[in-house]
Amino acid sequence: MSREILSVRGLNAAYGEAKVLFDIDMSVATGQIVACVGRNGAGKTTLLKSIAGFLKPTSGSVIADNTPLTGKKSYDIAKFGIKYIPQDKKVFFDLTVRENLELGSYATKDYNWDRVLGFFPKLQLLMGRKAGYLSGGERQMLMIARAILGSPKVLLIDEPTEGLAPGIVTQLRETFRELARSTALVIVEQNLPLVCAIADKVYAVRDGRIVAELVGPEEISVAACERYL
Amino acid sequence: MNALKWWWGILLAFALLGVSRTFLPLPFMNEVVIFSIYAMGCNFLIGRVGYISFGQPAYLAFGAYACAFYLFYFGTNPLVGIMVGVLGGLVVSLVIGPLFVRLRSDYFAMVNLALAVIVFYLTQKVLVDITKGDNGLWFMTRITSTPGLDLTIPGQFFIFALIVALAVCAFYKYLDDSIYGACCLATKINENKLQFLGYDNFSIRLLAFVIANTTTALAGAMYAVYLGFVSPEMASPSRAADPVIVTLLGGVGTLFGPIVGAIAYTGMKDVISKLIGNWELFIGFLLVFIMLVADQGIWGTLAPLLEKLLWRRKATLPVATKR
Repeated sequence: MSREILSVRGLNAAYGEAKVLFDIDMSVATGQIVACVGRNGAGKTTLLKSIAGFLKPTSGSVIADNTPLTGKKSYDIAKFGIKYIPQDKKVFFDLTVRENLELGSYATKDYNWDRVLGFFPKLQLLMGRKAGYLSGGERQMLMIARAILGSPKVLLIDEPTEGLAPGIVTQLRETFRELARSTALVIVEQNLPLVCAIADKVYAVRDGRIVAELVGPEEISVAACERYL
Repeated sequence: MNALKWWWGILLAFALLGVSRTFLPLPFMNEVVIFSIYAMGCNFLIGRVGYISFGQPAYLAFGAYACAFYLFYFGTNPLVGIMVGVLGGLVVSLVIGPLFVRLRSDYFAMVNLALAVIVFYLTQKVLVDITKGDNGLWFMTRITSTPGLDLTIPGQFFIFALIVALAVCAFYKYLDDSIYGACCLATKINENKLQFLGYDNFSIRLLAFVIANTTTALAGAMYAVYLGFVSPEMASPSRAADPVIVTLLGGVGTLFGPIVGAIAYTGMKDVISKLIGNWELFIGFLLVFIMLVADQGIWGTLAPLLEKLLWRRKATLPVATKR
């Protein structure tokens, strides 16, 4: 039985004078994969940043697991279990894969790497390599691996497949399905076939507003998503 | 096994420093060792946290004056004086740190330089009654002998300074290899990314600031005991770039960079000042050269070459055994 793990109500956000998000309402349940789709500049990344505490909302509320998070510091929100994985795949270049993972472990006190390496066995072979020398796909794996240490409640993933080879995208799709068994996922994604393959719910974002909510395989399709782009 | 390896490296480096004492003048070696400790703090700030500070003379002076006040007004034991100096640096860093580490690196550099100016004028003009202004505080004759290593004897002070520098170097090596060291490097690379993982950048930077400046204060206290004298010149803003130059010269963020930088800087100062009057001019040109040609500094450039050389030897060893 799934329960609501993340609830966003009447969220408004702005960059200085420029209002970017308008009265956003969304909810995410445990074990759910929720996707946000929309054109570039629609406000999808801003929505994730507002939930993760990197942009202070001007009004509205973010509640996770019955705990209000609005106004909390980003690192407190991360500690609470709402982890944000940004779009740019910038891991800590000068640190090795092992050190990058250790940073995740130290923050969460979760030193059990078997689970994360179960998702990404390739990382085991790259432990001593500096993260700056990894490919785009390997960096994405490392960022997700680091974020899932400590078993977060919700993962906010921004454009995870951008610039990745089709093979890696397929692998990530399976990983997301596996991850969703224990962690709710909110994914901002432009790859509509991927979204349709994995999402339980889709929010279409246009000009900072949610213009549609598609639930279940009956409603979610590439054609339905494209209608709102 | 790895721990053994790096311990051997540090021990070998300090053994070489100790041996150098036999053919290099004692005052030179004492200055090199204390300057190495001074630069280690600066190296940690620049190399690990990405903070350039032009205010290190202020923290050096805090340590030196705290130690000097104790030895001039209250006690005679130089070891206690050094401990008071370290404590002074620690307290000042804890008070100033929360204000300063909020600033970005360029503002951080300037606010620290401003602090050096303030400390310089406080010690020179404002607090003349207790600092004795430009005359400074003389306490060489007040320092008593200590059991074991007698710090009033320069030769024994050198051994003491070498042990302290070895301990500080090992401590920084430990920090570099720890998760905290990785956090420091991560906050330097991208502080936002570290927050994604649940880290508070402010706490990480504050701790680094306190560690680095307490190390600088330790160097100040050791200068005070070694010279038996402190004056406002120690906090002079004109010396603000010295530890930064030594750090760059040696190799930013490298373990042995501060030691190599201190040897090179002190050596050039000694040698060139005997040949030409304005040795700073030469240092200036050298720094420009290093920045343009070898931005890894002396040790940063030499270390990979040495590693390659040693690795090649190791690699050829099994072949030789096979034959």
